[in-house]
Amino acid sequence: MPQTMTEKILARAAGRPRVVPGEEITARPDFVIAYDFPGYTDVFFKETREDFGIEKVSSPERFVLFIDHMVPATAPKEEELHKITRAWGKEQGVPVHEREGIGHQVAAELGYATPGAFAVHFDGHVSQLGAFGTFAFGARKGVLESFVTETLTLTVPATVKVELTGTLQPGVMARDVFHHMVRVMGPASCRFKVVELCGPVIDAMSIEGRQTLCGQAMFLGATTMLIAPDAKTLDYVRGRSKIALDPVYPDADASYDSVVTIDVSTLEPIVVIPPSPANTRDLKDYTGVEVHTGYLGSCASGRLEDLRIAAEVLRGRRIQPGFQLHVVPTSKAIMAAAAREGLIEVLVEAGAFISSPSCDYCFGRIATMSDGQRAVSTGTLNTPGRMGSVDSEIYICNAAVVAASALEGRIADPRPYLAAAREGVAA
Amino acid sequence: MSLVNLRGRAAWVFEEDDYDIDLIVGVRNIKITDVKELAALAMADYLPDFAAGVQKGDLLIGGHNFGYGHPHYPAMRAMRHLGIAAVIAESFSPGFFRGETSMGFPLVSCPGIRAATARGDALTVDWDTNEVRNLRSGQTLMLQPFSESERGMLDAGGLIPYLKRRVVPAS
Repeated sequence: MPQTMTEKILARAAGRPRVVPGEEITARPDFVIAYDFPGYTDVFFKETREDFGIEKVSSPERFVLFIDHMVPATAPKEEELHKITRAWGKEQGVPVHEREGIGHQVAAELGYATPGAFAVHFDGHVSQLGAFGTFAFGARKGVLESFVTETLTLTVPATVKVELTGTLQPGVMARDVFHHMVRVMGPASCRFKVVELCGPVIDAMSIEGRQTLCGQAMFLGATTMLIAPDAKTLDYVRGRSKIALDPVYPDADASYDSVVTIDVSTLEPIVVIPPSPANTRDLKDYTGVEVHTGYLGSCASGRLEDLRIAAEVLRGRRIQPGFQLHVVPTSKAIMAAAAREGLIEVLVEAGAFISSPSCDYCFGRIATMSDGQRAVSTGTLNTPGRMGSVDSEIYICNAAVVAASALEGRIADPRPYLAAAREGVAA
Repeated sequence: MSLVNLRGRAAWVFEEDDYDIDLIVGVRNIKITDVKELAALAMADYLPDFAAGVQKGDLLIGGHNFGYGHPHYPAMRAMRHLGIAAVIAESFSPGFFRGETSMGFPLVSCPGIRAATARGDALTVDWDTNEVRNLRSGQTLMLQPFSESERGMLDAGGLIPYLKRRVVPAS
């Protein structure tokens, strides 16, 4: 019987010949991933030992921990949490990756994004490992089950196939595509389901753009999002994959909950207005809105292609005096690559403040906004208070829009800047 | 311990779809850890004396995709402290659903509940017949049954006691 990628991956992880949507299974994750955060990892460590008497987790090689929030620490209590994490990792033989970047990105760089693998985390943005054909699921505090039992119980989700057709216009990025999907399909359209993405837009899209798309799955209500591995994927994971698995592909006649086709040929840059990630709007309806700060980073954007397009907009220009542009490459590797390409120089000379990778800008722990301020952001969320005062506002957009808005101090269309830059290159 | 049938008043009917539960305590307050302080703030933006009026066993009624966004835990911690026994909604956002179920707090998916309920109505939930009944109107709606592990967590009072039952079987 034909199966979706999701069904194949979960069947293998559950040790069954096949699974069907709606069926509850107990599956063994290939990877248990977490970043340290108060109330999560510190509590898991304690509960595993005190409630279940487990001194050592079994198969520690499946576990990986990241220290990417509260980096650097600004209070003794934060550093204390990191110490607990380091100590637990050492004691358990579990790797702890610290200051290497945002864990969801670094997990891919380190090879935890193995095509066909099943990975769990408490944080839902781990779904971005789906860009590599990994079924990666944010189970919230349910991850404790994997600390204690080596398994995770879950209901097999139905799969929605989304085919993206057409060609993206210049200045339109994966970020725009995702929020357009939310607009077309609805923020609850894929509740408890998995999205399998395909189509010519995906085929042409960079690995980075695919990570951006898959990482936001939760804002469609989806359990996770997956893309079948292609040559680009296999090139990336070759030599990195932590385990040897055959990549998994959907059967041509697999049974889907629904099939949605979205043509993105006429899509223009978008902006997601506060207070909800469900509020996708056309950028052109919001250009001119005064903004005071910009954030280019996060697990959703902040990769090399984001830095490149921002540099293209900003090259040889100066951002508005008083505007605070924070550029935070998603990982150390990305930051180093951006430096080698000269992107960091361009951004710094334009007036950007560059920070080493950290999750902290995304939730306002750093670069906090005060009452009445407005941000353009490539972060994940625009709920009031996410980046500081609850009386500040966050407009989510792509990296080029952040850069153009930094130049004007108002929400701005990057396309004229990009066109000028590209003509300059041609001439 | 096992899930007991519910009987309580609809303390609030959330009309919004995709409701962000952070708004229950106010985003400005979600880092407060003292549950009494949180409980006193619950719904203060909607009704200043909400906390004072809640009775143990009361219920919340919600719309579609209730709990959308990044659902933090303080809102329902506050509600549980006040005595709210469950949320009955048209449907739930998956992250919120998983998070609260693992706390042993019932989130009941019940299509039609919002239109069928006015604030203050007395409702019952019967876990054996999967029925939600509005005692004022007499209307009965069917709830969507839980999966085995969800029911197990609710019966046990949360993920930890549930896992303890599985990991250390009773002799």
